[in-house]
Amino acid sequence: MDGVHDMGGMHGFGAVPVEDDEPVFHEPWEGRTFGLMIATGAAGLRSGSIRPGIEAIDPATYLGSTYFERWARSVESGLVDAGTLTSAEIDARVDAPEPPREHQDDTNPETASRLTGALVDRPRAPSGDDVPARFDVLDSVRVKRMAPAGHHRCPRYIRGATGTVTRLPGGWPHASGDESPEATYTVRFAMIDLWGTDAEPGWLFIDLWERYLE
Amino acid sequence: MNESHGHHPKSKGSSEQRVEAIEALLVERGLITSDVVDAIVETYERDVGPMNGARVIARAWVDPEYRSRLLDDGTSAVGELGFGGAEGEHLVVLENTEDVHNVVVCTLCSCYPWPVLGLPPQWYKSFAYRARMVREPRAVLAEFGTTVSDDVELRVWDSSAEVRYMVLPLAPDDATGRSEDELAGLVTRDHMIGVVR
Repeated sequence: MDGVHDMGGMHGFGAVPVEDDEPVFHEPWEGRTFGLMIATGAAGLRSGSIRPGIEAIDPATYLGSTYFERWARSVESGLVDAGTLTSAEIDARVDAPEPPREHQDDTNPETASRLTGALVDRPRAPSGDDVPARFDVLDSVRVKRMAPAGHHRCPRYIRGATGTVTRLPGGWPHASGDESPEATYTVRFAMIDLWGTDAEPGWLFIDLWERYLE
Repeated sequence: MNESHGHHPKSKGSSEQRVEAIEALLVERGLITSDVVDAIVETYERDVGPMNGARVIARAWVDPEYRSRLLDDGTSAVGELGFGGAEGEHLVVLENTEDVHNVVVCTLCSCYPWPVLGLPPQWYKSFAYRARMVREPRAVLAEFGTTVSDDVELRVWDSSAEVRYMVLPLAPDDATGRSEDELAGLVTRDHMIGVVR
């Protein structure tokens, strides 16, 4: 979807806020959110991936939330959409917070090891040369003008621009969740072709699925 | 920056309260254990971070054959040092030279090579960095104290699909003869994102 998350090129956000020696998680709940995202995904408790859920947040809330607040919303909506939890029972638990009853200390240790293993052993890899590719290195390609409603990875700022294929990183299922792999391309654009004659000199490289290109 | 700590307008409580409630409900039902969540958090707080990438860079600086393998197939070369996994399934390493400088951004969200750099810092995920790095990279680099002269070719990489990128910085002039450990100590996260040259 073409949402407010698609920020490339926008004005008005000011200087980049840099914090020296920042911790990985600023507050414990941020770490819990991250851990729950990984664990519920690996255990199949959540529908969809994290990013469509983040992009579905209304623009005002998206802009007014911190990064992990947006993640927390997406984790929750994924759990609710999958039928694992209901919003009502989460609301009720927020009203009457208490630690878990019957803490499952006897949970199968294999489950724990499978979940943590998911962090370091995800069997995902590009499909490689067996995926048909319409374009080749050095081909000139143009990014289609379009307004796709579903999850995609084609930012607005490159649409309509013409660039050059520099590499074929292989075939991957499209980000929307399609199962069959589709060719991806690393495409190089001249900054002047994206931002006009006042652009800083240089190049922009971005990986794009074949469906975005013509 | 307008990224204040807000609350959900349409649901009860803060994110912190809701996440706590969600974890309690899932644990109570035996769907996950808090130990697993603890292990994931500790892994990214303790074991996975830019010190991993720094080891990769230092090895590339002292071992030309490793450097060549790293540039040819980043995923496999970092795997030689034991690094891999989520958000590192297809790693491409970008070589800085005297004439070329590379810098990485994710305009749509926060794509980042976790196995070698850990989780991204706040500024990498900030609206300002995402919006500006693709349009005015030299201006943003200047905010990091980095000047890239006009005769250096600037390459900005917007991580958008499945490849994750890490920059191989220029070796220091006096790298010859220094130990790999010592060199690793000179490599920072910001070098490997490319906001420092």
